[in-house]
Amino acid sequence: DGQLRAMPSVRRFARQNGIDLTKVIATGRHGNVTLEDVKNFQATGKEIET
Amino acid sequence: MVVGTQARSVDLVVIGSGPGGYVAAIRAAELGQKVVIVERDFIGGVCLNVGCIPSKALINAGHAYHAQVHDTATIMGVHSNGATLNWEETQKWKNEKVVKTLTGGIEMLLKKRKIEILRGEARFNDNQVINVIEGENSHLLEFKSCIIATGSRPIEIPNFKFTGRLVNSTGALNLPEVPKHLVIIGGGVIGSELAGAYANLGAKVTILEGLPHILNGFDKEMIDVAAAEFQEKGVEIITSAIAKKAEQSTENVAITYEANGVEETITADYCLVSVGRKPNTDEIGLNNTDVKLTDRGQIIVNDRQQTSVSHIYAIGDVVAGPMLAHKASYEAKVAAANIAGEDVLNCAVAIPAVAYCDPELATMGETPESAKEKGLKVMIAKFPFAANGRAITMNATRGFIRIVSDKETKVIIGAQIVGPGASDLISEFALAIENGLTSEDISLTVHPHPTLGEAIMDTSELADGLPIHI
Repeated sequence: DGQLRAMPSVRRFARQNGIDLTKVIATGRHGNVTLEDVKNFQATGKEIET
Repeated sequence: MVVGTQARSVDLVVIGSGPGGYVAAIRAAELGQKVVIVERDFIGGVCLNVGCIPSKALINAGHAYHAQVHDTATIMGVHSNGATLNWEETQKWKNEKVVKTLTGGIEMLLKKRKIEILRGEARFNDNQVINVIEGENSHLLEFKSCIIATGSRPIEIPNFKFTGRLVNSTGALNLPEVPKHLVIIGGGVIGSELAGAYANLGAKVTILEGLPHILNGFDKEMIDVAAAEFQEKGVEIITSAIAKKAEQSTENVAITYEANGVEETITADYCLVSVGRKPNTDEIGLNNTDVKLTDRGQIIVNDRQQTSVSHIYAIGDVVAGPMLAHKASYEAKVAAANIAGEDVLNCAVAIPAVAYCDPELATMGETPESAKEKGLKVMIAKFPFAANGRAITMNATRGFIRIVSDKETKVIIGAQIVGPGASDLISEFALAIENGLTSEDISLTVHPHPTLGEAIMDTSELADGLPIHI
């Protein structure tokens, strides 16, 4: 569950941008998904399954 | 010097059982090392026996007494028929209930993990062998690894030898009576905390500080809050003062100091000298090893806590950095992990520092000044306890919470709290800074109401530009 792999602000950003955190590769400290990870994921233009 | 004795072989020798040493011993034992811990004095070191713990006990006793004779009666309508202080009972509680409970607990923890406790003074013979001398007995230990955790001791200044009515922090915690007048030379954290405790216990206190302000290490806005409370309690603070000499009689001690080019003398019952501490690295035979020291006597270590001799480690007050118990304990775990073959670095983002004054002060990471000095672009958000419901119910509205965050990313890089519960509240910022949280991460976290901790959420909302309670 991506909820537990990202900080609250990153979760909020992902939600607002329709990104599924479970599909994002984490590069942050302690295996966290960072804001940058989410933005990179967004930039690759992958289809987000809803 | 014992010659010809057969040295016994051990995995790890830890010298010193303070918050660095005992934590290192326990962690190393958990990770499979056979550990011998050497202590010449008391298990638990300075912190538990003559530092953090007993001082907090006296500070608490001071709060209890002060509340009885002042605040509650004048403000909350709780009247007592005149509080009396039985100092002997206070001391007994501190020594037998507080200190003994904790030090006994540490000894149990060590024994539970089969850590051998050797009482005595440790001296290095060379890079490989240590000699532990206890009266007539001596033990030669040949170690695979060693952790030096010998701590520090109070600095003595010229003409102020610790004797009789001239005391160091240990003496100040064990005075035979509450002084009518106590002079404190050095208004750092130790001096200021004891000034507050004794002022609350009814003493007249004078602080002589060499610098232009007390509580060096905190910023001016924070110091002002503590200084205001000192002033209210009649604590006299004389800054830019140089202590010259002390003359004792059976009755009192006269301290001569110079301030603004004028020499003055004050007479008091006791004088505490708390101008700093120096590392205990001069009497453990390091000259027989290849361990390198700085010219100030600190042991030089890398970020694995290794000295210039790779199997000898050093932690706590004997190495660089703030002389704080939690810093020693953190370094202890780094050293122990490396000795056990793990690959661990000392990579704490920031270390909190607390002063248990009235109100408490706590800081970690960047301050507005340090951020400015480094040319960082920051956002400063400051929220007063006067706008916090819980603080109002406690009649403790003095102070504020401040967040220093990166202007662009909103990542919190520093935090300061002066006010009620600051020592406990700073932990939330420790977690935030260590994990690179933003102010928004904190504002999105539900804090219970009404609490002091809620003010952290309020400060974060302020940093986000969306304040509710201000």
